Amino acid sequence: MSILNNWINKGRLKSPWVVHFDCGSCNGCDIEVLACLTPMYDIERFGIINVGNPKHADVLLVTGTVNHRNKHVLKNIYDQMPDPKAVIAIGACGLSGGVFRDAYNVVGGVDKVIPVTAYVPGCPPKPEAIIDGVVTALEEVKKVLGLTA
Amino acid sequence: MADIIIALIAVILAPIVGGLISGVDRKITARLQSRFGPPILQPFYDVFKLLGKTPMVINSWQVLCAYVYLAASMLCVFLFFMQSDLLLIFFVLTIGAVFLVMGALSTPNSPYSQIGAQRELMQMLTYEPLLILVFVAIAMVTGSFKVSDALAYPKPLLTQLPLIFIVLGYALTIKLRKSPFDISASHHAHQEIVRGVLTEYSGPFLALIEIAHWYEVIFVLALCGLFWATNLFGMLVLLVITYFLEIIVDNVSARMTWRWMLKGALSVGLVLSFINIVWVYTAG
Amino acid sequence: MLDTLVFCLVVLPFLVGLLHAFVKSHQVRTTIVLVTSVIMALSSLALLAMGTFEAYDISTFIGIDANGLVALCDFVLLFVILYFGFKRKNNLIMGFAGFQILALAYLEFFLMDHTTHVPAIFADSLSLVMVLIISIVGPLIWIYALGYMKHHEEHLKLAKTKQPLFFAFLTLLLGAMNGLVLANNLNWMYFFFEVTGFCSFILISHDKTEIAIRNGERALWMNLLAGASLLMGVILVQRVMGTVSLVEVLSESTTLGAVMLLPLFFMAFAGCGKAAQVPMQSWLLGAMVAPTPVSALLHSSTMVKAGVYIVLRLAPAYVGTPLSSFIALFGAFTFLVTSAMAISQTNGKKILAYSTIANLGLIITCAGINTPAAFTAAMMLIIFHAVSKGLLFLCVGAVQQNIDSLNIEDMRGLYKRMPRTATIMIIGIMSMLLPPFGVLISKWMAIESASVMGGGMLLVVTMLALGSALTVVYWARWAGILMSTPFTERAPAPEQQPFTLRMPLQVLIVMAIVLSIFAPFIYTGLVEPVVALYYATPAFAVSYGTFASKTGIFVTYPVFLLLGLGLFYAMRAAKRMSKKSASEPYLCGVQATENGVAGFRGPLRQIVAPEASNFYLAQYFGENVLTKWVNVIALVLLAATLGGLL
Repeated sequence: MSILNNWINKGRLKSPWVVHFDCGSCNGCDIEVLACLTPMYDIERFGIINVGNPKHADVLLVTGTVNHRNKHVLKNIYDQMPDPKAVIAIGACGLSGGVFRDAYNVVGGVDKVIPVTAYVPGCPPKPEAIIDGVVTALEEVKKVLGLTA
Repeated sequence: MADIIIALIAVILAPIVGGLISGVDRKITARLQSRFGPPILQPFYDVFKLLGKTPMVINSWQVLCAYVYLAASMLCVFLFFMQSDLLLIFFVLTIGAVFLVMGALSTPNSPYSQIGAQRELMQMLTYEPLLILVFVAIAMVTGSFKVSDALAYPKPLLTQLPLIFIVLGYALTIKLRKSPFDISASHHAHQEIVRGVLTEYSGPFLALIEIAHWYEVIFVLALCGLFWATNLFGMLVLLVITYFLEIIVDNVSARMTWRWMLKGALSVGLVLSFINIVWVYTAG
Repeated sequence: MLDTLVFCLVVLPFLVGLLHAFVKSHQVRTTIVLVTSVIMALSSLALLAMGTFEAYDISTFIGIDANGLVALCDFVLLFVILYFGFKRKNNLIMGFAGFQILALAYLEFFLMDHTTHVPAIFADSLSLVMVLIISIVGPLIWIYALGYMKHHEEHLKLAKTKQPLFFAFLTLLLGAMNGLVLANNLNWMYFFFEVTGFCSFILISHDKTEIAIRNGERALWMNLLAGASLLMGVILVQRVMGTVSLVEVLSESTTLGAVMLLPLFFMAFAGCGKAAQVPMQSWLLGAMVAPTPVSALLHSSTMVKAGVYIVLRLAPAYVGTPLSSFIALFGAFTFLVTSAMAISQTNGKKILAYSTIANLGLIITCAGINTPAAFTAAMMLIIFHAVSKGLLFLCVGAVQQNIDSLNIEDMRGLYKRMPRTATIMIIGIMSMLLPPFGVLISKWMAIESASVMGGGMLLVVTMLALGSALTVVYWARWAGILMSTPFTERAPAPEQQPFTLRMPLQVLIVMAIVLSIFAPFIYTGLVEPVVALYYATPAFAVSYGTFASKTGIFVTYPVFLLLGLGLFYAMRAAKRMSKKSASEPYLCGVQATENGVAGFRGPLRQIVAPEASNFYLAQYFGENVLTKWVNVIALVLLAATLGGLL
């Protein structure tokens, strides 16, 4: 049983499938997220795959400010991801609401609605930073799984 | 008895080989797109990860369907290596496909899943007659539907059934979910993003389906192998070339619509196989 | 003993039918139906236990010359039909009935030598199998009809019940069917053939709506056409051979050579007409307006089987002739086009009807391929198809009374409303579609036997391959949408159904499964003897539940075992799912549920329930697209063959 568990844990670290949700970003961060998929950065090297369906995903990448219209959607998508899962907030807007944080319709950062595992600052962050964010999130997952000891 | 042991070994080895093939496939695909690509073992990491996720289902029917799909695919490989009857194996293959579709249809209010299921049915409508005709052609050459007789045939079947092999290529492309026939669901981040017929399967059930898919890959490749069964080296060369061609086709073509598939692929496939069958008949 | 059994199977239903016509009370009717059902089922089993018997003469019946009695009844029946033709001002009915009266008079008064008695009945295992199907599946449908018709008439708010006549003809039909399959004297066969046609006319028009009456008339004239063809066949047989004994036709026709082809063609054509093969499929489709027990009884499990019975019965007589290849081609064509048209249908009963025609086409194809393996396939298909299709018809009827619709789109999520019926239906569909169920064993035999023949059969094989893929499409999606339910922790509460409705469903589903498990024994016990009788060698050797022939093997038990195991684990895993694992479908994150309606938030925060529908591909496979061409091609095929034979 423990062998199977070892394999499963190994899989968890080596195959983070990400789903990307744009909460109302200016598309700067989104372009950078997609840039990670290009041959230049090729995140599939790390087993990362961009999926389009939260039910298949392990990591939720959120860009943009969360507002009152789309916070339900964000919550719904998060809820539809099976455990264990991680959330990465990307860009200044995702972290705190950015320059829009005082707007009447803005809730603020992603962590106002769902728990966030890792934060990637920048406006927009470089693809390297996003990849680093995923790695940071995986370190957190390791801690949760008790693999760091 | 020896048959059964070989078949059991095949059932155990099939997912391992199938996973490796899938890993190599992803690596080559990445290289063709001038990327580095994931490790060869990546498909196994994926599946183990999926197995470890909490189950999440729309209803219990889905669980049933995923399990039966896997059971049917395993049975398919088992029967093939038992050197059983090709047509029987085909019918067992149908069990799996039908249950996959039913599982997807069992989800109320899920447009992606429903459309995926309908498209999967269209894919079945295309490859099923072609596969039956492939088997009929093999039977006409070897005089029997038994795998054992196809293996015992003194000449490579490819020499007599070249067109049929192309038809099998169509069926293979559909079954492997490769472009231009990845209509109901494609592999990772290709063109179908939400993954059609697989949309509502998640976690361990998606893992089961992935493993079942590996079994099917092994089955269709074994089927291709029958076309050069006279020596092992020839068979390997044929398989490598065929699979490489599949990857090339996958990478150079876009996904087509099911209408195109139904009209184009089915009619071309039928004509090709009919020509080849008549040719075999008049020659023999 | 034999006399008594044959009496119970053939004459008793006629008498009970007469009795039914005068019974007003539901209670009494129920008792009569139950008692008759038990008697018939037991008699058929007893007949099976006694085994096959040689041609056997019944010279007198209660003191009257039996042949004379049949001839008299024949004339009476034809005049009754002629009367209906006049009353409805239907030229086709009048024409065909008038033609048959003249032809029959010619046969009876000028052609036949009444001094020698032709043995009236005989039975080989093909007849016995038919008797079993008719006398076991048929009465189950009667029982079902008890509950169904009560509800049906309440629904229509009839002031005066029409059930006495309905049950009278329902009962009569089974007697006629038994008579038909046991007949050795072709005159008798012709008489029973006409009776079934007449019964179907009355039963289809039962509801007396305009469309019911029109479809009933169409069924009548098409059946009369088939009957006329049969009569032509009988006359020609009498002229060529000087006898109307079926046994002699079977044993001597191959030695007589080409002269027999024309009469055999006419008789086979009669069979095809009764089995609603193209271009005569429209009467069977029209028959769907009748109450469901009628559809189930007449048009799926028993009556149309009379048609394929005749074609299959005569198969040994035309083995190896061009006629045989033609029949195979014709059947395969029907199989292909009706499977295609079934895809475009939304009406559940119509899907079943098309699927029935397709399966009958497959049986006729097998009769035409005419090898031991193909003959086996045909017989197995007759057995398994009768059970599964009867079951599905009854299920659809039960569903219709509950949801008041026949549209399969309305059957989405039926499992939630009618878990019991829906589960039975899903298994029933599986039994039509997947191995290791019996229907698939027959399909396997059919394709394999056709493909080793080569020659003209290449076209047949191609059509079978295509048709078989089309079949998968319409069955799989139907079964799938029945399951379409949201998560429930416990299985939904079973629906309330009257016992008479529930029992036949349960018996039939058990039969469908058990018969498939015992398929190897059915083969050795019932099918092999017939094949050995008419063909030199049986096609399959059966050991440990494995059918093996020179060309292939079909393993039943390992498949049953492994799939059963898979199913067991699947059920266990499915049971383990708790409320925690329930999830909603993916709707791009906007899914929501309000007041029990699941959907997404649309404009103004309204809940919008997404709708899905199957692909029906009406632009390719629609009735209006295909029917005309299909009929033309079928007519051309028929004309070409007839021309070739003349």
